[in-house]
Amino acid sequence: MSERELTYGEAVKEAIAEEMRRDPRVFLIGEDVAEAGHPFKTLVGLVQEFGTDRIIDTPISEPGYAGIGVGAAMTGMRPVVDVMFGDFITLTMDQMVNQAAKAHYMSGGKIKVPIVFRTTLGATRRSAAQHSQSLHAWVSHIPGLKVALPSGPYEAKGLMKTAIRDDSPVVIFEDKMMYRVKGPVPEGDYTIPFGVAEVKRAGRDITIVATSSMVPVSLGAAKLLEDAGISAEVIDPRTTWPLDKQTLIDSAKKTSRALVVDEGYERYGVTAEIAAVIADGAFYHLDAPVKRMGAMDVPVPFSPVLEDLTVPSERTVFEAARALCRR
Amino acid sequence: MPTNVIMPALELAQETGKVLRWMKAPGDTVRKGEPIVEIETDKVTVEIEAPATGILRDVTAREGDIVPVGHTIAIIAAPTDSAAPSSLSPPGSAPSSLSPQGRGQGEGPSGQGSDGRVKASPLARKVAEEHGVDLARIKTATGKIEKADVIAYVEGQKAVATAGNGRGGRLVAASPKARRLAAERGIDLRGLTGSGPGGAVIAVDVPLTLPSPQGGEGVAERVRVAPQVAAGERVGTVWRIMAERMTASWTSAPHFYLVREVNVARLRSWLETARKQTGARITYTDLLVKLVGATLAQHPRVNVSWKDGALERHAEINVGLAVALEDGLVVPVIHRADTLGLQDIAARREELVTRAQAGKLRPADIQGGVFTISNLGMYGVDAFSAIVNPPQAAILAVGRIADRVVPVNGQPAVQPTMVLTLSCDHRALDGARGAQFLGALADLIEEPLTLLV
Repeated sequence: MSERELTYGEAVKEAIAEEMRRDPRVFLIGEDVAEAGHPFKTLVGLVQEFGTDRIIDTPISEPGYAGIGVGAAMTGMRPVVDVMFGDFITLTMDQMVNQAAKAHYMSGGKIKVPIVFRTTLGATRRSAAQHSQSLHAWVSHIPGLKVALPSGPYEAKGLMKTAIRDDSPVVIFEDKMMYRVKGPVPEGDYTIPFGVAEVKRAGRDITIVATSSMVPVSLGAAKLLEDAGISAEVIDPRTTWPLDKQTLIDSAKKTSRALVVDEGYERYGVTAEIAAVIADGAFYHLDAPVKRMGAMDVPVPFSPVLEDLTVPSERTVFEAARALCRR
Repeated sequence: MPTNVIMPALELAQETGKVLRWMKAPGDTVRKGEPIVEIETDKVTVEIEAPATGILRDVTAREGDIVPVGHTIAIIAAPTDSAAPSSLSPPGSAPSSLSPQGRGQGEGPSGQGSDGRVKASPLARKVAEEHGVDLARIKTATGKIEKADVIAYVEGQKAVATAGNGRGGRLVAASPKARRLAAERGIDLRGLTGSGPGGAVIAVDVPLTLPSPQGGEGVAERVRVAPQVAAGERVGTVWRIMAERMTASWTSAPHFYLVREVNVARLRSWLETARKQTGARITYTDLLVKLVGATLAQHPRVNVSWKDGALERHAEINVGLAVALEDGLVVPVIHRADTLGLQDIAARREELVTRAQAGKLRPADIQGGVFTISNLGMYGVDAFSAIVNPPQAAILAVGRIADRVVPVNGQPAVQPTMVLTLSCDHRALDGARGAQFLGALADLIEEPLTLLV
């Protein structure tokens, strides 16, 4: 097998391009996606290959083009709707939550909405409070939506292809800080199933459940823990919905301790849901309360020094895990 | 704890009250609600009821004394509170800060209106009723009682109550995993020292009970705790313990096996005689228990365990019986089998098997075994090799009794025989000692009468 490496951004683009070649119903719509190739340069070259009929630039109106996407999906297209920053899903919420997520159910199964909302999460880009949030908990909360969180280039391609082929609305949150990170990505077609967690690193003493941007952070922390004599198991759920509860519970049963790390706001967050799942399923196997780590309870500061403090880091995850293991 | 009797505020502007007459004397036993003292204000004379049941003590206000409202005039001690410290304020002294005992009923506006009724919000009344709290005992700064005041009073009472019994809470602090392990191992959490946060017991603090020299206690608890096997692949606790113990034995005790076929013609006639004589339902197993006990008495060197690199000799001859249950294997013990008669052995065996099958074995039933007999004869098994039941040194596997062709005086003859297989832990026994034991046992089985000589 080839050990070809792509960046996270290239992996996303390759997934979209392959799916557009495979299926003429797939198109992409959003702001600055065509000639500009997206502000994060993730779509450069697509408009040259597919033309402006399938790579569609829109005015700055997220509710408008999100609605176009939902309508197109209802009529049989398979749109990828690009929402530049995850913070902007506040503007597309009605299309996502009340239209896309409900139509299949409320039509008695007659209408499908095979749409992908592609957006971002992640702080520490010095983008200030309105461009730095990780709001995937908002949509993970909604029945009818699937939510994928690729944690590296391999996942970025595989999960995007699964999302485009899925008949349900899917929201993919890409980590905007990872676009330039390289990793092995197979050429050609492969998909990653939704609802299947991946054990990124096996361990005995503590389970660290980490999503998206927090997967590399937690793997780094696991190395530090190893030096401290603690064997950490790191698990990436890959999708917050569907959620692979069993893998998380089984791991917590094995290690007796669990730490959940996610870049979204900690309160009422993804970490809360996952921690509850583990506490419920592994209660009599736990030797410590399930610990959560997420973004601090503040608007993300513009000050770089302060911003870096608001999200979990290798060091803070390491400290929290070590404290849980009481070593 | 003692309850204070205070000078009540019966009117809005009342500052003092006069003790007219004590209806009870110090040392008297009083009942809650019973009038104990008569108080006079500017306008009325009322009888004050005892706020609690107990013994009236520390009566500091004499008849005729004028006492500021809210001050303690006596104490009602619980019958057990012999020398509880008094929290009295001397009559006429300046109002002092609240003492612990005075919480909720000391100084401060009383929440009573001039008509004697308590001023409380409807919600406060409801909450007080739910908690069985007498609103008259709650004092607030404003004189009005709200829900929060009632809750604070209830919490305060709880805090006093728990402080009194010396324990912080209802439960010993322990992690869920530690609780489960302790329950499975039959260990009382209260006896453990926790190394977790705030002294909580965590998994590492729960000692492993298996395999332990005295065996069994944990198993007994387990039998009681979780005897059920769920459908599918799950196994019950008894089964899991069996799996763990057999794995421990098989992977740590080097086994060897000695096999011997014995003629049981005389054993069979002995059984018939014994049944006739006693009328008891004596079985071959009972005879074997008796004979194994006698053989162990002759060969104390087999009555040992390998423990921490040394031989541990056992004084008592306690013979275990492997009993198959729906959900696993247990080994109840017939203690001092060498001293028991056949009838006693049979009775004890029946009792143990019944209890085992009902999942009601007690710790004492499975403690202290030094040797195990496992009989699969009733299943038609000719012979088999058993796994030593740690920390014992040997186990006897008993096959079925069948008519087999054996040479008798150089001629083939058909005789009832049985194959015995002795499994030994080679750390505790060697082949020669095992063989001597098995030989002696075989001799006894073939000629049980030698027991008598």
